[in-house]
This record gives sequence, C-alpha cells and structure tokens, in this order.
Amino acid sequence: MADLSHAAAKSVTDRLTATLRRVALSEYLVLWLSVIYFLALAPFTPGLVSPENLVNLLVALLPLFLVALGQTFVLITGGIDLSVTSTIALSSVVGASIVNGNNGWLAGQWFAAPVAVLAMLALGAAVGALNGLAITRLRMPPFIVTLTGMMFFSGLAIWFTQSKNIGGLPVAFTRLGGNGWLAGAIALATGAFAHLMLTRSLFGRWLFATGHNARTAYLSGVPVRGVTLAAYVICGFCAALAAVLYTGQAETGSPVLGQRVLLDVIGATIIGGTSLFGGKGKVLWTLCGVLFLKLVDNSLNLLNLSIFTITMVKGGVILFAALLDATRHRLAGSRP
Amino acid sequence: MKFTSLATTLSLLIALLFTGCSKSRPAASAAGTSSERKLTVGVAFETLQTGYWVAGFEAIRHELASRDYAMLEAVADGDANRQLEQVKSFITRKVDGIILVPKDAQTCLPMIKAANAAGIPIVLFNRPAEKSEARSVAVVADNFALTRETVAYQIGVARASGGRREAMILIGDLGDINAVGRRDGFDAAVKGQEDIVDVVARVPTEWSQEKAQAGVVNALQAHPNISFIFTSSDFLLPSIVSALKSVGKYHKVGEPGHVLLAGFDGDATAYAMLKDGYLDATGVQDVSFEAKQAVQAILDLRAGKAVPDLILDPGFVIHQKNLSEKSSQMWGAGVGKK
Amino acid sequence: MNAPCALEFSGLAKSFSGVRVLTEVSLTVPAGHTLGLVGENGAGKSTLMNLVAGNLRPDAGEMRLNGVPHAPASSAAAAHAGVAFIHQELNLFPNLSIAENIFLTAFPRLGGTPVIDRSRVHARTAALLTEVGLALAPDTPVERLSTGQCQLVEIAKALSQDARLIILDEPTTSLGAHETATLFALMARLKERGIAMIYISHVLADVLRLCDDLVVLRDGAVVGQGSCNEFTHERLVSLMVGRSLTQFFPERKNRPAVEPVLEVCNLSEPNIVHDISFTLRRGEILGVAGLMGAGRSELARILFGLDPYAAGKIIMEGESLGRITPKQLIGRGLAFLTENRRAEGLCLEASIADNITLVALRDQTRTPFRLLDFNRWREAIATMRRAVRLTARADDAQPVRTLSGGNQQKVVLAKWLLAKPRVLILDEPTRGVDVGAKFELYQLIFELADRGAGILLISSEIEELLGLCDRILVMSRGELRADLPRAEFDREKILQAALPVEEGNA
Repeated sequence: MADLSHAAAKSVTDRLTATLRRVALSEYLVLWLSVIYFLALAPFTPGLVSPENLVNLLVALLPLFLVALGQTFVLITGGIDLSVTSTIALSSVVGASIVNGNNGWLAGQWFAAPVAVLAMLALGAAVGALNGLAITRLRMPPFIVTLTGMMFFSGLAIWFTQSKNIGGLPVAFTRLGGNGWLAGAIALATGAFAHLMLTRSLFGRWLFATGHNARTAYLSGVPVRGVTLAAYVICGFCAALAAVLYTGQAETGSPVLGQRVLLDVIGATIIGGTSLFGGKGKVLWTLCGVLFLKLVDNSLNLLNLSIFTITMVKGGVILFAALLDATRHRLAGSRP
Repeated sequence: MKFTSLATTLSLLIALLFTGCSKSRPAASAAGTSSERKLTVGVAFETLQTGYWVAGFEAIRHELASRDYAMLEAVADGDANRQLEQVKSFITRKVDGIILVPKDAQTCLPMIKAANAAGIPIVLFNRPAEKSEARSVAVVADNFALTRETVAYQIGVARASGGRREAMILIGDLGDINAVGRRDGFDAAVKGQEDIVDVVARVPTEWSQEKAQAGVVNALQAHPNISFIFTSSDFLLPSIVSALKSVGKYHKVGEPGHVLLAGFDGDATAYAMLKDGYLDATGVQDVSFEAKQAVQAILDLRAGKAVPDLILDPGFVIHQKNLSEKSSQMWGAGVGKK
Repeated sequence: MNAPCALEFSGLAKSFSGVRVLTEVSLTVPAGHTLGLVGENGAGKSTLMNLVAGNLRPDAGEMRLNGVPHAPASSAAAAHAGVAFIHQELNLFPNLSIAENIFLTAFPRLGGTPVIDRSRVHARTAALLTEVGLALAPDTPVERLSTGQCQLVEIAKALSQDARLIILDEPTTSLGAHETATLFALMARLKERGIAMIYISHVLADVLRLCDDLVVLRDGAVVGQGSCNEFTHERLVSLMVGRSLTQFFPERKNRPAVEPVLEVCNLSEPNIVHDISFTLRRGEILGVAGLMGAGRSELARILFGLDPYAAGKIIMEGESLGRITPKQLIGRGLAFLTENRRAEGLCLEASIADNITLVALRDQTRTPFRLLDFNRWREAIATMRRAVRLTARADDAQPVRTLSGGNQQKVVLAKWLLAKPRVLILDEPTRGVDVGAKFELYQLIFELADRGAGILLISSEIEELLGLCDRILVMSRGELRADLPRAEFDREKILQAALPVEEGNA
C-alpha cells in the first residue's frame, strides 16, 4: 500500500519533472518565464492586470522591440552595434528639425511629416552603412567601430541642436508614436517582414551562415561582406524607425533621446535567446525578451519600489534569466 | 544534478520577487483601500543625482507623510520615454495627484496631456513646462528676484569695502529657463551700480563643471583683477575655488585679497563655505516651502479652486550676517549634517 | 611477470542517458608496453580514454594504475596520478611560451615565495626539449610552432609531470612524414624508459608497426585483443567494420575523357609555388602527392581565388580566369573541399540541412523575392543525403557538430555536389575519417568522376592516391617534380620525387 502510494507520488513527480524539463528546454522559455512572472505578481501588484496598464505595457515595448530587432540582425552575424542609441538621438533631432512648427525647414507643409520620417530612416540606414563599411572594408572590430560611432553621433546630435530640445511637432508626425494602434501596426509590420527575411529569404540564410562561420561561408560563395554590411544598415534603419516612435511618444526631438536604452536593447535580445557569438537569433525570441524586460520594468514601477531597489531587482532578474539560459544549455548539452 | 540547479535558480528568482513585493505591501494596500479615502500622490523625478533633487524628494516625502497621504515614487534616470511610462502607470493606478520633475520643458507635455485626459491634477516641481494647451501648475523658485537680492547684498559688501571691482558671472545653460532668470536677475542688480562693479567676464557653463573650470581659469588670466564673482548655481563652486586657489586668490572674508563670492541654490558646499567664511552669500531655494506649495496645489486643484499656473518660491538670501539665524531653513545645511 | 601492470581495466561500463557506450571492457597494459587501440569513429575509444583521464566516471568496473585503484575525480587528479592524455585537438596556449605551457600548473618557485624561479623553468624546459628531440628555445611562443612540434611539447609536458602512462589520440593526423618519424623515434625512447603508452590511430600500418598489443573496439565492446603479431591489416579492418571488406578501393569502370576542364600554365608565386603547369581532364582523378609544406594546399588555395599569384594562367573550360573571388568561381562550376573541415568546411553549430544547402542556396529560392522554396529545399537535402549515404540516424535539423568525422565530411561533399561542380579540388578528404566511411567517400569520388567532373585530389596517404587516381602529380618545395600516369605508379618513385633535393646533390 505504502509502496503503491509511493509509486504514484513518484509518477506524479516524474511527470512534473518531465513537464518542467520541457518548459526549461523550450526555445520560448522567456515567454513562459514572463507568464509565470505575471501570474506570480498579479495578486500583489495593484493595477498590473488592468486593461489600461496592459495597453500601456504593450505600447511601451514597441520602440524597444524595433531597436532590439535591428540589433538581432547584427548579433546574428556575430557583431554588435552600440551606436543604436545615438542613431535614435540623431534621427530624432533631424526629423524634428524638419517637421517642427516653430522654425522647421518644412514647417506647416502637408508633406513635412512623411519627408521627416523618410529622412530619419535614410539617416539611420546611412549611419548603419558607415558602421558596416568600417567593419567590412577596414576590417575593424565592431565593438570599437560602433563604440566610437556612439560617441561621435551622440556628439553630432548635441552639436546639431546646441543641446536644446525641439518641440512643437505636428500631430501628423507625433501620432506615429503617440497613437498606440499606429505604433503597433508599424512594429507588427516591421517584425513580420523581418521574421520572413530571417526564416525564408536567401539573405536570412546567408546571415546565419556568416554568423556561424564567416570563413566557411566565404568559401561557400556567400557574399559575407555584403551580408554583414546589410545587417548594420538594417540595424540603423530599425533604430531610426524606433526613433520615430520614441519622438512621437515624447512629442519632442531630443539629442539625448534613447541615451539610456542600450543595456535594455542588448539585454532583451540576449535574454530572448539570441547569441552574442553569432549564428543564433529569431524575431520572436527578441519579442519575448523585450516583453519580459518591459514586464519587469512595468511591474516594478507599479510595486512602488524605490529606484535603488528597482535597479537592483532588475539587475538580479536579468542575471537569473541569463543563469537559467546557461543551465538550460547544459541540460540540452547532456545526451537525451 | 543539473536539474536541481535549474530548480534552485527558479525558486531563487521567485523568492527574490516575493521579497520585492512584501516591501511594497504597505504602500500598495494604502493605495488599494478606497474606503479610507486616503489620498495617494505619485511623485516622478527625472533624476536623483544631485543633492538638490534628493533634498526636494525628501521634502515632498516628508510633507506627504505629515499630512498622512500615501506616496508612489518613480525615478526615470534621465530617460524621458521611461518617465512617460511611469506617469502612465501612476494614472493606471488612479493616483489623486502627480508631482513631476521633468527632464526638460518639452518632453513633459505628453505626460501632462495624459494626466489632463485622466482628470488628475499635475504639478511640476522646480521646472516649468513650455507653453501649450496642456494644463499644469509649476512651483519654481523666483530666480530673477532671488538672484537680484543676492547680488544686491554682494554689491553692498563691495560698496562698504570701497573701490571699484572687476566682476565675473558664471551663466548656466540658456536652454534652461532657470538659468535665464538668474542671469537677468544678476544684470538687473548690477545695473546702475557701474561705479562699484564692472562686469568684465561672462562665462557660459552649460551647467558643466569642466566648462566652468576652464572658463574661470581663462577669465582670471585675462582679467587678473577680478574680485567679484557670482555663480548661477552652487554646484559650480568647487570649480571656482580650485581656479582661485591656483592663482593664490582664495582667502576668507575679511582677509586682504578676498574675492567677493556669491551663488545660488544653497547646497551643502555653499553651507560649508559660508560656515568656514569663504562665501559671502547665496540665494537659497526654499525646498520645504516648494514641497508644501506643490502638495497644497494638488489639494486646491482637486477642490476646484483657482490655482495660478506659476507659484513662485521667493526663497531667501543667506549671508555671513544672518547665517546662524537662517541656517536651520537652508536645505544644504540639513544635507551637510547627515 | 609479478610486477603490477601499468594499467588494468576490468569490466568497465559507461552509459549516457541509458545508451550504452561501453560494455564490459577489460584490458591490461604492462609497463613499457605500447597498446594499440583501434576502432571506427564512435566505437568508444575516446570515452574509454576519458575514463582514464578523469574526464568521465565509469558506471561499473574498476581501473588500476600500477596496481593501485584509479578513480580520478578530475583530469587534474588523473594527471597527478601519472596519466597524460595528448588529445587530437591540442591543448596548448598559443600566446604563451613553450616553458610557460609546460609548467603552467606547477611553476617552480623561489624558496617558499610565490615568485617564479625563471632560471629553473628555463633549465628544466631546455632539458625536457632535448629529451623529446625538439631543438627550440624554451621561450619560443607556441603559436610559432607547427602541429608536430606542439605534439612534442605536449609530450614534454607529460614528462615534466612524471607521467607513467601516456595516451596518444590520433597523433599523426596533421603531421608530415618527417615529423611522424620524429614522433615514432621518441615513442621508442619513452618505451625504453618503461613508460606505458596507449596509441589510438586510424593509420593501421603505424599501429601494427609501433605497438606490442592490440585491442579492437566495436560498438563499445572489445571484439579483438592480443599480441600485435597475431593481426594483419585485413583482419583488423574486418574486425573494426564487422564484415570483411574484400576490396579496400572500389572498382573503377570509366576512363577519363581527353577534353580538358582545367589548365594551369606556368603558375608562380614567390616562395609558394614555382612554375606549375598541368591539365585536368573531364572525368579524371588527378592526385597530388608531396610532403607537408610542399605547396599542395597553397596551390589549391590559389586555384580557388583565396591567395594571389604573380605569374601564369589558369584556364577553365577554355576561358582564362583572372583574379576572381570564390563566389564567382563557384558560379563557374568549381568546388573546393579544404583540408580544414571544422574551420573552413562546415558551420559546426548549424544544422545538417543548412550546411548541405549553403553553396547552392540560390537554386532553392523562388523569384521575385528570393524566398526559400521549402519543397525544393527539402527535396534537395533528401537527394543529397541519399547521394552521399549520410547516416540515417541523424535528423536534418541536428547540428553538424554532433556527427562523426566521416559523416561531417559527407555533409561537406554533399554541399558541393548540390552545386553540380565540373571541377572539384579535394584537399585531404579522408583525414580523420574511419575505415568504413573512407570506402564510401572513395565510391563517391568515383561516381563524380564517372559523371564527368575533373577531380584534383590532394592526399598525404600514398595508398589512397595509388588506389584512386588516374594520374599523380608529385610536388616538392613548390615545384612540380613528377607527373606519373597510372601505368608508372610506384611508391618508391613517388617518395623519391617528394623528398626535397638537397643543395649538395643538385
């Protein structure tokens, strides 16, 4: 009898272990973590489950998702782009200086908003191209290229505006970021396109091969330089698109916009499962990483912890996510 | 074994979160129970990185606590978009009022609009917003009047000591309305006093210590006779002191060769320099007054009373003669004691 | 014979998550004896050696080292007990000097202080290097050493730790003939000093020549054991494979055509190759023999557009190739299987499917947007897997890293075959590949030639060249020294041509 109940208990434990193991090994572990986190905190966190808050949360993660999306492309090649934050700032002030109603170059024109958006995107792509060219043609390490790029373009943005904000942006422009539906549609469309590109296109396959082993890829006829360059251009473009949303949300072109998001961008991408060593990454992973990070942020705000506690808890949560990821790799590494 | 470590990680993670939650329990429940009608005010600061903001934050906390109100806090760490998220989460939690220190005059507009749309009164602490259709109340120091008063005291000392002095002003970031007010206050004070002070150097600092230091050194070289200095903020005082020391002109009040020195803000450095007899005067922003006014403004707005868009803090000038009498009201003195 | 054996295994077993990798392995190695350990890839040789070296722990059975029970908790503990494991992948730090590598874990100190006794390190390293026959200064950085020299440094390191048992795992894979001879001479000296050795290799001739005893592993069990003179090459192969391979090289039916596909005229690059001319015909297998450093791989790299050349002409199918990139050459029908499979042939972490389709990916896409046509893609992969007879156990999505050497090489070959090349350059295609897979690779090479591709086969195994090629070129010091048609194939002749001409004899 005792044996029987013991056996039953054991089978339950086994099943539980198996389920846990499946969850732990799932490539969407971060999504599961987010769900667990959400459910665990919901009873203690006033307002977490309210529809307004969920909408806030979703709208807030859109621009971060776009920046992280571009970063995913670069990380897949085995590189890194630290200059995304200054790309955001530079695009923001250039766009705002075109479109603003006070002394903008196209102030009051009906086509001001679309021209400003196009100029921002072109600028982002151009910054990415500069990074990419320095990395592929001059064979400089991505870390140094984009680190100096970060300083240079940030300085450029501040010089361009003489350290001042540019307000007075027309609604036609700001609603791109301010209106949750529009921002959501932009992010969704970009995300879907990027997903298609990564999973189904020739370019996507080349991108992964380059990240796995650039030498092998080159010897197999993959245009490694072109693919790497394209990854940085895409990254710059996505950062500029995020700048459109950030600028719209803040209704201000600011030379320090996005200055603090670098760690969130790289953190979210890595937490999602994209590898710093290249060859691994998915749009959906990045989305899950961003969701997790923003959920933590949002819940900690609602919990009314002091800034010091928030910073510590957030650091701890990211560390645990990374630890979990490492453990998961060891689990996956052991033979089945 | 591997699985155990995974399980440990998970349980540690959950434990961590629960510790986080339990700390916040009192505030959370305070906000949650509506039957007591205990007011909850959301306080969102852009930064807590200088002594002045910490003093302001503490003053507001103290003021709210003394009226038995609950406080929700958020610090955006210099990120305007994050601050927008924080204000939105205050609104989600249906706070009764918001006190905001924005990063600048423009990026706060969407936050004010969001609060307006939710019908929640919002008060800007120490930094007003740009003019727009968004409605808010700002509590700010009367930069112009207070600076004029401070500099007038300094001129009085100069007049008493006799002789004409060459003067220098350190100007802040002119994108900041506070910096403009202080510069104008200085100009108003020296106007008509040309027989006593001759302004030979105007150093733009853009609120940067490095720029201030370089500018002061250059000015002292070009005009070695400068003996009258006003800085638009006390946090630049260390730069001035080191520049003066390097040319051997840093002396106490009353000693021969003393350079008349005055500032604005009333921080801990200024208090120490006043006490040690190196600083002549500083215009003190009355942080506790500003905190009281901000909270009162929220109550008035909720009660439907008319509140002016701009509430001015007259502040006070603290100088060598009234130091013992006024120092208890100076926030920098409090910080210094801690 | 009462002295305890250097190493005794009794009833060793090991499983990974329920899959048996070793069953009931028992063997002995007397002191001063060399045991040859052979078996196909995946037979359990590495697992067995990892048990001795403390990297893994057995599920059952016992190990005794010099009569004392040996159950090392870590590789450091095993090293302390006197076991040295010289891996296929060498474990030296390229940025450190020879002396630093040797004494990394046990630097001699000055008195009781933490200060390293430089002069003693230097002197002891110099003595060790003399012992292993390496004429280098102790402070030479390891990155300047050849693979063979690194191996000798590893052995010197083992000696410095007073190793009583040295395990050599595939030591000759990347060694030239001269370096191999040096290594074998050293092994003979070590044997005289009473050091026991376990020698693992796919080169059966070496095993038969060097070892006292032999153990053959198949599927984790000992299938043959005994004194070396009880075995022949053929018997070893049939024991390893589990069936008898009547013929080591497959039958060749077709003969090459006369029509040239690749012509090389007076190709020169200072200090690399000198005035090389030859013609490769359709359906021909043209071997390139030579010692390490003879310029064979360098020639291949020039042909594939990776390195520049100063003079000469390369003509493919009547068209002269200027300086063009690998991508363009692939477009013209050239394929290059490099000698460095892991670093240049595969994306190890990527899936089998992605590796196979890497070269010919464009053919698997549909215009206008160049999106992948998954049906065509899957079909191409399935066709290629059948064509190269890739193991059916592996899933398409499995990382290539998890495959054995032979299957990895098949993936590389499949990748190139999918692009339907008309000229293939194969540089050491069977290196690190076990016997059974080798035979299959040979068949594949024949099939390719039969379909009309010209094949340039670079190999260090003379047997392989003799068995496969229609013609053999011999290179030495960057020059073409002989061009032998099949009728004139002769081992002596090839070796003679491959040996560098001494200045005095010239």
